[in-house]
Amino acid sequence: MGSSDRAKQLLADALNCDAALISGDVRIGQFERWDSLAHLRLILAIEQELGRELDPDEAVRIEGLADIATLLGAARRPLTR
Amino acid sequence: MASTKNQPVLLQTKRFSLRSLKPTDAAERWINWLKDPDVMGPLNVPPRQWNVRELMAHISSADNHERYLIGIFDLVSKVQIGFYMIDVDIIHRRATFNAVVGEKTWWGKGVINETRAALLDEFFINRGIEKAVGMPLARNFPAVFNYKAQGWHHEGTLRGHCISLTGGTRLDQYQFGLAKAHWLGLRGGSV
Repeated sequence: MGSSDRAKQLLADALNCDAALISGDVRIGQFERWDSLAHLRLILAIEQELGRELDPDEAVRIEGLADIATLLGAARRPLTR
Repeated sequence: MASTKNQPVLLQTKRFSLRSLKPTDAAERWINWLKDPDVMGPLNVPPRQWNVRELMAHISSADNHERYLIGIFDLVSKVQIGFYMIDVDIIHRRATFNAVVGEKTWWGKGVINETRAALLDEFFINRGIEKAVGMPLARNFPAVFNYKAQGWHHEGTLRGHCISLTGGTRLDQYQFGLAKAHWLGLRGGSV
């Protein structure tokens, strides 16, 4: 599963809905199911996926699906020298 | 700002009424919130074992000018479910918002953004405030959500800004800000 698909699944799980209901341009504050408790579940799920706590500057940037995918993608890229 | 100096706040939203609290509003319900680490922990406030007299004294410290304590009341049950503490810097026309929803059955139901919208209208339009500020702990994710969903700007991350009152470690905080012009723009001139 790619980062975008995984991001959508994490968000769907946090929002307790089917991933098919989530559009690619979903934004914080614009989707009723994405409420404050869903946001809490989402951040904790991302942290569990990454195996670490998010840095505050990472966490505060999460406003849409693309931001989640970016975080997951960065974690999957191999370190290069 | 002179016209509203010391004037209590009295507002209504779709689901809630908001009003400046009086010492006679001190109640066991509120005292129980202060004891509850689930409620107070995200605010980095240690649980307090206050009695009614101490809570009354705390409420009395609000003057509806430089400090407001405003209750959130469910319109249906008439029960208080939370409160705001808003500190005003008169010189700089800036208000710092703190909010608590004590009744857990209301968590995740949009209480803060519905009620804070009414308060932002009141403070920006009628009480001379030009900037609103909120400073949640970085790991108070529900509060962070509310600021972002309401259109506040993340103005900075304050690293290790305060000491955890439960664990002693240093905690990060965010500063969110909202200017009057931006808020009125978000409201589309409908206020």
